[in-house]
Amino acid sequence: MKNVPDSNILLFRSCLVSVEYPGVESSTKFVFDKLGVDYEISEKQTCCTGLGHYSDVFTQIDTSAIGARNFKIAKNLNRPNLVMMCATCYAINKKSVKLLNKNDDLRNEINGLFEDNGLKHLTYEKNDLLPTENIFHVVDILYGKKDEIEKNIKYDLSEYKIATHHGCHYCKVHYEDTIAGFRDPNILDELVEACGCKTIGWYDHKRATCGTGFRQRYSNPDLSFTATADKMNALDEEDVEILIHLCPNCHIQFDRYQHLISKRENKNYKAIHLNIAQFIAIVMGGDFNKVIGVKSHTVPIDSIIKELKEVK
Amino acid sequence: MSSKQNIDDSPIDFAEEIIHDYKNSKDEGVLKCVQCGMCTSTCPAARHSDYNPRDIIERVLDGDKSILNDDLLWNCFYCYTCHSVCPVGNSVCEVNQILKQIAISNEIGYDKLYEYMGFADSYFTAAIGAIPEIFFEDIKKDVPGWWEFRQNLGEIRDELELTPPLMPSKEVIDEVSKILTITGFKEKIEKIRSSQEVSQ
Repeated sequence: MKNVPDSNILLFRSCLVSVEYPGVESSTKFVFDKLGVDYEISEKQTCCTGLGHYSDVFTQIDTSAIGARNFKIAKNLNRPNLVMMCATCYAINKKSVKLLNKNDDLRNEINGLFEDNGLKHLTYEKNDLLPTENIFHVVDILYGKKDEIEKNIKYDLSEYKIATHHGCHYCKVHYEDTIAGFRDPNILDELVEACGCKTIGWYDHKRATCGTGFRQRYSNPDLSFTATADKMNALDEEDVEILIHLCPNCHIQFDRYQHLISKRENKNYKAIHLNIAQFIAIVMGGDFNKVIGVKSHTVPIDSIIKELKEVK
Repeated sequence: MSSKQNIDDSPIDFAEEIIHDYKNSKDEGVLKCVQCGMCTSTCPAARHSDYNPRDIIERVLDGDKSILNDDLLWNCFYCYTCHSVCPVGNSVCEVNQILKQIAISNEIGYDKLYEYMGFADSYFTAAIGAIPEIFFEDIKKDVPGWWEFRQNLGEIRDELELTPPLMPSKEVIDEVSKILTITGFKEKIEKIRSSQEVSQ
């Protein structure tokens, strides 16, 4: 497995986490603090351009120039390890670092624009950051601390039927860096196991998209929801109670639209949706309102988790 | 007249244009396509619509530029499933994104971008990425309680003790706006906006 850092981390803020599931950010901080991970959040860092990039409004130059600015912020803070809460931010930033290192024309074009317009301080030098050594998702950091997680378990969630949904932009874009499989993705399953629980493992459509498809959800909702239904039906057949996520895009698609897709499919889906950081934070004793942020969820968390049982 | 090329006039110059695009991370992957159809067999858009990734590469290798006008191109989910399973290291997902950028640079497909102008505005004027407000009515209708939650977001964030605040400083906004001006983003958005006004 690649080396995973636990210090000099810039925890990269996500636009969707900030406004849709802020509890993912507070849970990540809670878990990182418990595990002794050294991180900081910067008020200067801006969004990766995600939805703009994948709705084809931003060019690669636009996105990588914004990326170069964010990478400089990380370097200046001496926190070159960017750690993302969102799979889209992860894939976009890793691609920009790869391109800025490898493609001299792109790097020179962006640096030229910076130099000619009074932004020389943002210039990106080749290999300022390295894609495999510096660009991570929160799940990578948690995976590196699996043994520590096991030592911090307070509550037992092993009685629930748990499945995992691995975001495409963590697993499939830069698959050479994906920990614990991308054709049969298992990083979330292994993290759930570190919490003393079992998942159902493989299920039909396990590696399939959540169906968001960026523009598809907004401009082509029938196509989007039909793809999501494939997965929701598979999870329903397995009687899943908790679905574990690693990306706020997928989280929105499942949690916000479960009600609507349930009606479209004439089913009664019951799963609640938790980010892996929220799941681990619950197991470690995080408060549902002050840490987990349950008020931002559409499918109520207490429809499944009614009380917590301490581990024996 | 067919837009297809013959083997004796530069059959791969369309593919070469894609290979040299900044977005391409697969070197000459597109030229290695063996038309096996693994991409199509695993594609969610192909499963539920007439979108066909294998066909996209065939048309690119045929030099068939009419593909730039094909509405089906816009059905790709950008899930990268094809990218992750291709046996010869091609990525239809990336090729699709490149084709769309070629289309847009030729002022094709602007109408597909109109709904996302709100994201462009929010990023340019406030350095914030956000779901465009144009979609809020649909979300309110489809998601029970979402609007009420959004009204209480500040309170919920306070309870979670989240800092720093959502709104970036003026200094950050100015720098981001400047970057998006010098990359040509601002000019392009203005052009798309003018075309939208003409179309209404």
